[in-house]
Amino acid sequence: MHVHNYEKLWLLASLALIVGFISTIVYGAVGAGVVMVNDEGGQVNASGLSEHPEFNDPGVRKVGPNEYEAYVVAQQFAFSPDPIEVPANSTVTFYVTSRDVVHGFEVAGTNANAMVVPGEVSKMTVEFNETDEYGVVCNEYCGQAHHDMAGEVIVKEPGNFTLDDAGESTTAQATNGTDETANGTGES
Amino acid sequence: MVEAEAGSETPADVQAPDAYADGTLVRDPEVENPLGQEDFDPKGTLALLLVYFIILTLMWTFMYYVEFLGNGPTVIG
Amino acid sequence: MSTPTESILNIGRTDDETALPAESFIVKYPTVARVVRVCFAYAFVALAVGGLFGVIQALHRTNVIRVIDSADYYTLLTAHGVFLAIVFTIFFLAGVFAWANTRSLERPPLNPRFTWLWVGTMSAGTLLSGGSILAGLVAEIDVSADVLFTFYAPLQAHPLFYIGLALFVVGTWLAGIDWFRQYLDWRADNPDERIPLQSFMVLTTMLMWYLSTLGVAIEVVVFLIPWSLGLMPAPTPLLTRTLFWFFGHPVVYFWLMPAYLMWYTVLPKLSGGRLFSDPLARVVFVLFLLLSTPVGIHHQYLDPGIAEGFKFIAMTNTMFLLLPSLLTAFTVVASVEHGARQNGGEGYFGWLTALPWRDPAFTGMMLAGLMFAAGGFSGMVNAGMNINYLVHNTIWVPGHFHLTVGTAVALTFMAAAYWLVPRVTGRALYSRPIGLFQVVLWFIGMTFMSAAMHRGGLAGIPRRTAEPEYSKFTFEAVVGTISSLRLQIAFGGVLLFVSLVIFLANIALTAANNEPATGLKTDLPPALSGPEQSPQVLDELKLWAIIAIVLVILAYSLPLWSIINGAGFYQDGITASPQVVQPVLEVLI
Ligand code: HEM
Ligand SMILES: [Cu+2]
Ligand SMILES: [Cu+2]
Repeated sequence: MHVHNYEKLWLLASLALIVGFISTIVYGAVGAGVVMVNDEGGQVNASGLSEHPEFNDPGVRKVGPNEYEAYVVAQQFAFSPDPIEVPANSTVTFYVTSRDVVHGFEVAGTNANAMVVPGEVSKMTVEFNETDEYGVVCNEYCGQAHHDMAGEVIVKEPGNFTLDDAGESTTAQATNGTDETANGTGES
Repeated sequence: MVEAEAGSETPADVQAPDAYADGTLVRDPEVENPLGQEDFDPKGTLALLLVYFIILTLMWTFMYYVEFLGNGPTVIG
Repeated sequence: MSTPTESILNIGRTDDETALPAESFIVKYPTVARVVRVCFAYAFVALAVGGLFGVIQALHRTNVIRVIDSADYYTLLTAHGVFLAIVFTIFFLAGVFAWANTRSLERPPLNPRFTWLWVGTMSAGTLLSGGSILAGLVAEIDVSADVLFTFYAPLQAHPLFYIGLALFVVGTWLAGIDWFRQYLDWRADNPDERIPLQSFMVLTTMLMWYLSTLGVAIEVVVFLIPWSLGLMPAPTPLLTRTLFWFFGHPVVYFWLMPAYLMWYTVLPKLSGGRLFSDPLARVVFVLFLLLSTPVGIHHQYLDPGIAEGFKFIAMTNTMFLLLPSLLTAFTVVASVEHGARQNGGEGYFGWLTALPWRDPAFTGMMLAGLMFAAGGFSGMVNAGMNINYLVHNTIWVPGHFHLTVGTAVALTFMAAAYWLVPRVTGRALYSRPIGLFQVVLWFIGMTFMSAAMHRGGLAGIPRRTAEPEYSKFTFEAVVGTISSLRLQIAFGGVLLFVSLVIFLANIALTAANNEPATGLKTDLPPALSGPEQSPQVLDELKLWAIIAIVLVILAYSLPLWSIINGAGFYQDGITASPQVVQPVLEVLI
């Protein structure tokens, strides 16, 4: 097949570009430790969230020194809890699910961003190092008042931080996350 | 409209009657100074694309390492 | 002087019939010319309505001028997406492909009735779906489809919306059959010849389309229609999303391929040159057939319920899908350079001045290609799996695809119309200078709108949102202010709309122009490096189709299996979607 030398050169440059992109992404995953939202959150019964051991009472629990879990339920047109309060210098794992349609959970101005799909749990672990206030946007169209659907994440001074419901912050079980669901459909 | 007028700035329009037919520059490369496969090296194309290549590499690096990795918090688990 | 509608519907001979040479397309294939005119008419009406909604959205979501309720924003947005990304693009494609296949095979379709059948099916589908979307604006009619053009469950539309979509897709399938029959007829007469290039492009694109529409066909026919009729429970959202994106990525190449066809086969001629390499053009279309479909999961990088490994595979496939577009950049620019050199162009960059920049068809396609280079970059960011966290579902994404489908495709189509409409109506273009102004204005408008959208996305502003801000917090721009970004979006949107109106007027006046088109005799020049310089195997369409199917099975069977295994087919208890049909059925029964 006849291919001009310049075009061969461009073909090589293009392949180099592609391999370069893939390598950067691998670096992001392996070197910088960025993890994609995946199937680890398992499944839940979207209409049975009130019987779910965690999502029946959305909120933040302490699961270890500086480690927290936030169970968040999205529904037309609000997040609960809102605001989500966590202390600075902590590692927070969000478990987000939806009661009705598909929503989004985007901590505005950060790289914490995921789809919230009914029946699935989006699990995201994020480190909050400084006190701050972030907006949370539903970035997936979810109905006529979609533009009103927003929340907040407030990262507090550790000294000022208390859990409203200290009874929730049990350790061992909660780390299983949602693997065990109310109706037993969960498996990861 | 006068077809032959609109493009008269380009040197190419001193052409056969069909030039600028239906608003289109039409040449028959086989007839006047044809540039064949052997005589044509697209060095201008290569130059343009190398510029594009450099822009892509720089912008990608900036977007990935500055905009993205500098935009924490980031999902790490 | 005849009205535009008349000249679109009637065989577009001008008053001076003798002016059209016997070998011109319209005289040789009057029926096909008419089919193309009807397809273009649908495309341009969709473009007009969709564009009007576009400017309303741009002004509304930036809070510059408000003529609708925020709750109706999503009805307009659905119409904008469906009318532009589905009806405009695909009807125009049908016109271009009908023209290209006929022209390059030198024969009309076998049975004009069959041709009108697919035109009719696509039209019926358009009217049903379009009508059910617009009915959402009329409170008295209990029909709506505010589900956006991505329509995954559990948001529900009226059944007519889904039925219309299904019909539309069936219409495109029939069109493909029409073009394949035309090809087989040609093959019977030319057993040993290489497939003419334009026909090759049509056929490979249609093979890709058959494969990729399987996903959406299953989604719509097996799940969404029965569900919207109240016959079945809601399907699993993740499953419908995955089936949608199985189709949702390749559809972008379906939009793009007719633009590529114009860039490869017409643009070289417009520049005064010849296609640089026919073999590489074929390689590129084969690569699109192979790689367009097994990548759809890249739209689901941030979905739960899909393992990271599957996302990684989709990412590598996607990155390799850059290759055919990067090769296209070389071949197309080199073909244009060939024209410039023959026009006496000199130097590394100086040759760019030796090109027919006053021709709106040429300049429009070149500007479209330039914007595609920029859109290619933001697409690389979207495709970059983990960096997708930064931009996913932000307004960066509409910023990206207004460069690609909204300009690379739409502006190429407008430019192509300046060249093709005279060929299928026999009427001279009303005004070339106005056409030139129009394509440049589109470029400027899009530069404003798209650049501001990209930057807004980096600040976290979401897409598909009627309000510019939230009560709880404000967005912070990295450079400049959020309010200046909003103004740029609104301003760009207005320029685009003005450009669109000028385009439509120019085309309508062309259709009504009594001056005959000239120069219809000229044919497309042969490639510098012809098909005989490429291996015969490139023309083995069956082989490529089989490999494409195998790649799709490899990429999709495990993810689909794990979704079905995890979440199942149906999900109970989702009640928040508008229940349109249930009440109707209750009354009836
Ligand atoms: C007059 C020209 C145009 C203007 C002013 C315009 C403006 C807009 C705006 C403001 C949005 C909404 C952003 C959002 O809220 O998410 C949008 C979305 C969109 N536009 Fe355009 N646009 C134009 C032309 C086009 C063209 C020519 C196409 C394609 C051929 C196109 C395809 C789309 C698509 C697919 C969407 C996304 C719809 C969705 O999110 O469901 N637009 N456009
Ligand atoms: Cu929402
Ligand atoms: Cu895609």
